[in-house]
Amino acid sequence: MSRTDTPTTAEERFARAVRPEKPFNRLRLVVTVAVVGGFLGAALTTDANWNRLLEAPEALWRIATLMFSQLSLADLPRALSFMWESVAIAWLGTMIAAALSFPLAFLAAQNISGRVSVGITRQLLNIPRAIPEIIFAIALIPIFGLGPLAGTVAIGLSSTGTIGKLSAEIIEGCDSGPVEAADAAGANRVQRVRWGVIPQVMPEIIAFWLYRFEINIRASAVLGVVGAGGIGTLLQQSILYNQWGAAGMALIVVVVATILIDALSGYVRRRIIRGPKGRAAKDPETSASAMV
Amino acid sequence: MSRTVPGQRSSTTTARPKRPLPSPFVIVGVLSVVAITLAMGMDWRYGIGFSLTQIWEGLTRPNAPMRGLANIDVAVLLGERARDGFLETLQMALIGTIAGAAVALLLALFNSKLGAPNRVAYAAVKLFNNVIRSIPDLLWALLFVAAVGIGALPGVLALFFFSIGVVTKLTSDTIDGIDHGPVEAARASGASHLQMLRTAVVPQVLPAYTSFTMYCFELNLRASAVLGFVGAGGIGAVINFYRNLGQWDRVWGVVLGFLVVVILVERMAMALRRRLL
Repeated sequence: MSRTDTPTTAEERFARAVRPEKPFNRLRLVVTVAVVGGFLGAALTTDANWNRLLEAPEALWRIATLMFSQLSLADLPRALSFMWESVAIAWLGTMIAAALSFPLAFLAAQNISGRVSVGITRQLLNIPRAIPEIIFAIALIPIFGLGPLAGTVAIGLSSTGTIGKLSAEIIEGCDSGPVEAADAAGANRVQRVRWGVIPQVMPEIIAFWLYRFEINIRASAVLGVVGAGGIGTLLQQSILYNQWGAAGMALIVVVVATILIDALSGYVRRRIIRGPKGRAAKDPETSASAMV
Repeated sequence: MSRTVPGQRSSTTTARPKRPLPSPFVIVGVLSVVAITLAMGMDWRYGIGFSLTQIWEGLTRPNAPMRGLANIDVAVLLGERARDGFLETLQMALIGTIAGAAVALLLALFNSKLGAPNRVAYAAVKLFNNVIRSIPDLLWALLFVAAVGIGALPGVLALFFFSIGVVTKLTSDTIDGIDHGPVEAARASGASHLQMLRTAVVPQVLPAYTSFTMYCFELNLRASAVLGFVGAGGIGAVINFYRNLGQWDRVWGVVLGFLVVVILVERMAMALRRRLL
């Protein structure tokens, strides 16, 4: 909107022109009031010890220096073996969830199953989606005892909901062409799914399994806090007994291992989705369907 | 290709084409999945000793949690302890999400190639965010409980950092995919970098950002059931309290109430999101 110094007719018209007023945006006002009001309301009424907030950066810094000044390589093997256990819990849990959710996904897909089956299965899948892994873990520990088995089953059950729902959505989004072709060739229900649906949806579903595995690593890293195995146990114990060096090493191992596995799994996921020749990518992480 | 197979009807029927071999990628993939699963599942040094019989035995034995589930006590939700727990959970999730999302919008701009003022800032923010994202919510809570003591404050701080990680990642991915037309228009009319971000980038990602923030609120609500287990307040502390007393009927009552709250919030967020996008 730069104005030149030489007056022209266009310039004169510009000078006379009145900028339109910004329209009053009621939604904006409502949202602003709701967000600011909600924030202040919650902050003022909550029982949090706000005067300790100012101490937080200093305390965190103190802990960080304690952790990283006492690092010792002697703690590394133990941290690695606990992390390996966490990864194993996440992997086996994801396998359980994949096995449980795969048939359920077809029962919950509208283009495959009847309305009753879809309704019931959807509700069934909603329950584990809403309950955090740790609730499953505390309920399973009295059953399976302290240790990785409880964590594995907890991860398996709680991921079944998300994986099942997402797989059902992928199945519903599949191209109907091959399904009709299978029908035309005289396929029955099972054959239609086997030859018309599964070949199309498998890459996306497997990519989502892998994505969920990445999420489950984060989940299994914390399950140890309640005693369900994995590196959470090591972290909590070492913080509890002020063994800051061991805690720092465990934290580093968690961060580095998660980033590495994310990168590896992300590469495999993209390769699965794109295929060898590089088809259009539909990565679960970047599509909106990741929001589950 | 056309081998004569005994019993084939006639030479005029075309032979079925041979199935192509699976690609090396598939073969290696399937083999490594099987190998990893076996190595991790077996009962040896590098495995966790996973066994289906043990699961079956565990589930068929009478146990306290299942007995509690059968006699679920919903009346516990009317009690003061549960009510305060739910209120605290909502407050923690609200504060953590709003504060975290506000910071995340700034970080998300820097976390994308388009929005970062220079490459150093881009790399620094990217590294910072990757580290933040790889620390799970419960570990944040553990750290903050150690730093500022138990209560709602460490919970709020944990959710704050957790929200930064989630919202920054999702929003910066959206920024990478925006329409470059408005960006060029802003630059052509002489906007500074900040003005360009404000007028060309932020309006484009605002609906997605709002949706991510609401999604993050749902995550935080769910997470707040977890934080209480390490002393960071919220409904998790109530669940942990009844669990330590072994009163599983009450544990399940609180969990049921929590489930209803989560599903209600999810429904509301979904309705809002549909209007936004």
